[in-house]
Amino acid sequence: MSSLVGFLSLVFAIGINFYLFLSGYIFKFQIQKFNLLIRFSSLLTLLSFFSLMYAYLVSDFSNYNVFQNSHSNKPLIYKISGTWGNHEGSMLLWLSILSIFSFFFSFTKNIDENFQRLTLIIQSLLHILFGLFIVFTSNPFLVNSILVNEGLGLNPILQDPGLAVHPPILYAGYVGYSIVFSIAIAGLFQDTDVEWLYVAKKWSLISWTFLTGGIALGSYWAYYELGWGGWWFWDPVENISLMPWIAGLALVHSLMMVRGEQAIKKWIIFLSILCFSLSVFGTFLVRSGILTSVHSFAADASRGIFILLIFFIVTGFGFLIFLLKEPQKSNALNLLFINKVSALVINNILMIIATLTILLGTIYPIIIEVLYNKRISVGGPYFNSTVIPIMIPGFLLMSIAPILSWQTNKIQNSKKYVLGFIVLSILVLIHSYFLDYNTWGFVGLLLGFWIILASIIAIFSTYKFKFTIKFFQIINPHIAHIGVGIAIVGITCSSVFQNELDFNLNEGDEFNVNGKTVLFEKIETTNQINFQALRGKFLFDIEKNQSKKIEAGKNYYPVSKMITSEAGILHQWNKDIYFILGDQKNNEWFVKVLINPFVSFIWLGVIIMMYSGLIAVSRR
Amino acid sequence: MSLRFQRLLLIFLTLVILLSAVLLILYNTRENVSYFYTPSEINKSDMIINKIIRIGGFVENDSFKKISSSSFKFRITDEKASILVTFNGILPDLFREGQGAVIEGTFDNNVFNATNVFAKHDENYMPASIKEGLRDTGYWNKKYK
Repeated sequence: MSSLVGFLSLVFAIGINFYLFLSGYIFKFQIQKFNLLIRFSSLLTLLSFFSLMYAYLVSDFSNYNVFQNSHSNKPLIYKISGTWGNHEGSMLLWLSILSIFSFFFSFTKNIDENFQRLTLIIQSLLHILFGLFIVFTSNPFLVNSILVNEGLGLNPILQDPGLAVHPPILYAGYVGYSIVFSIAIAGLFQDTDVEWLYVAKKWSLISWTFLTGGIALGSYWAYYELGWGGWWFWDPVENISLMPWIAGLALVHSLMMVRGEQAIKKWIIFLSILCFSLSVFGTFLVRSGILTSVHSFAADASRGIFILLIFFIVTGFGFLIFLLKEPQKSNALNLLFINKVSALVINNILMIIATLTILLGTIYPIIIEVLYNKRISVGGPYFNSTVIPIMIPGFLLMSIAPILSWQTNKIQNSKKYVLGFIVLSILVLIHSYFLDYNTWGFVGLLLGFWIILASIIAIFSTYKFKFTIKFFQIINPHIAHIGVGIAIVGITCSSVFQNELDFNLNEGDEFNVNGKTVLFEKIETTNQINFQALRGKFLFDIEKNQSKKIEAGKNYYPVSKMITSEAGILHQWNKDIYFILGDQKNNEWFVKVLINPFVSFIWLGVIIMMYSGLIAVSRR
Repeated sequence: MSLRFQRLLLIFLTLVILLSAVLLILYNTRENVSYFYTPSEINKSDMIINKIIRIGGFVENDSFKKISSSSFKFRITDEKASILVTFNGILPDLFREGQGAVIEGTFDNNVFNATNVFAKHDENYMPASIKEGLRDTGYWNKKYK
């Protein structure tokens, strides 16, 4: 029953959008009426999504999708997340988020009526495309042809609170760029004033913040769930989310250049189209199965073709209009060596190069396979040694960019910065000399700390501290950059200075980790609701009274006959101690211990970046 | 500095950045890319010592041996040829005999020393590259989508 409601409301929503798309210009609806219809279709799409969720909640196995991906034993939260833990459901989630964005956009004030209508018509077109994709190739409301009273269960790797919320947030980021795309296309047609650029800025900041959160959640999940001690793999799935993120960052920064009439509209429109194209490319290429990924999804051919079709329509249509329609002339940029404008331009160039490098690395295997019929894989080493060097000048620039002037190329208090940089270099050099010398480590630490230091100097020497919202809005760019600096320090330490220890242990053995004695207490197996747990129990630092318990092991899920690793992580502010339980022979267990310094800084940095993303939304 | 000079400097800087990016990419697509084979595609010329490659196929039935709790031996096969693999470390959770796997590492004479082992991520899924390779060799199990 709920499947029927869901399917009908989905079809009806697509119908309304079809009507709006066709008649938007013929009938010239009043904008109020137009907006009402948009909102109505959004609510219908949401209704469709929630009926699917309802089917999951009550374990309605007459729905084929629920039967394939759910099980009545599953905890409530995973029944909910099961809605989007599969291809069909996640596509419906994608469409629902698109609708939510249209819904909120229809409430935008102080924007030209025709402009708003045009933007929403383009949104309608997108809704129709993705809606038809769902109906014809990935319908989540198919009826199960056999009568069953139990489902096949959800992939146990996905049964994790982090991953349950990861897709909606990531998709909110991806799909958020749809509205930016629509605004940009509308901007090509109706370039009356610069007001729409401020609206675009708001929405691109919102999308970027969601995307940041989504990517961070994904890598945090990979860190504690996949059990290999790292948090970034340069897997195609990850690369694909990183591309719109960097392009989006370039977009946000070039929107900063909109001051009065002085705007580089064409570039902004280009970036907006690029961001959304990359988002579509990302979500859909992963699902089409063209890319070989260690964790990509199952796919069939008809989907792949449909996906590519949508991608070419969106991208082709976007860039075609972009080429045909010349935006009205805007004033020339005030480029000096080096002021804020030129710093922003260089930053944009670097980010686009970085995006293209990642894109090339990601699709290079496809190209080689088509041309030479050889299969290759491009992994971490390629990306580390291309993307990072390309970004380094950007990071250097970033530390001082917020205090550069718009008009002149004078830097205030330049002596303080020079002094700060020299002192910092000496400190980092001393650290490298006495502890671990590593070129990447040295560069990373210097850059990270320099960004933090320069931003702090800039805040204190330029502004007077006031505890008001306005003050936090003014210093926001510096705060965002401090976040990046902290993240760079975390990334550098956790990847360069990671320490790996291997042990072969019997129960009751004591061993030494980082100068602390650890006791391998015992191995224990327990039965949980939907899995069996095997746990190695460790006591960390037994010499102290408050020794910490660490549990590492594996879960066995009988329904899907799968095993997952559960790493035991002891979080400290300056390092994570990461236990992985391996195999055993003759009661001797293999235990791998990783010491990851300053991992927490990565997440802290990300949170700061997201915070300033939100603050920036509130500022015009 | 004159305005003209400043702008020339910016253009020059941009060109330098672009050029170095292109050089980096060209260098790294030669150096940091690993080739992917199925066992029967590998011939003597590919067994270059210290050259990192990836091999995809199935873990041969009854070939898995546990030497200690952290070192393993198994054969990877596509039914036409099979290769002996040694691995030290922790095998992925989905690693099983008869299941698909991709291994990365280097050859030492006729033995492949794997540094990374990737297993198939769920019951129904095969990485597209293994799928293609196995289809070509005819060792293709219909139950894998």
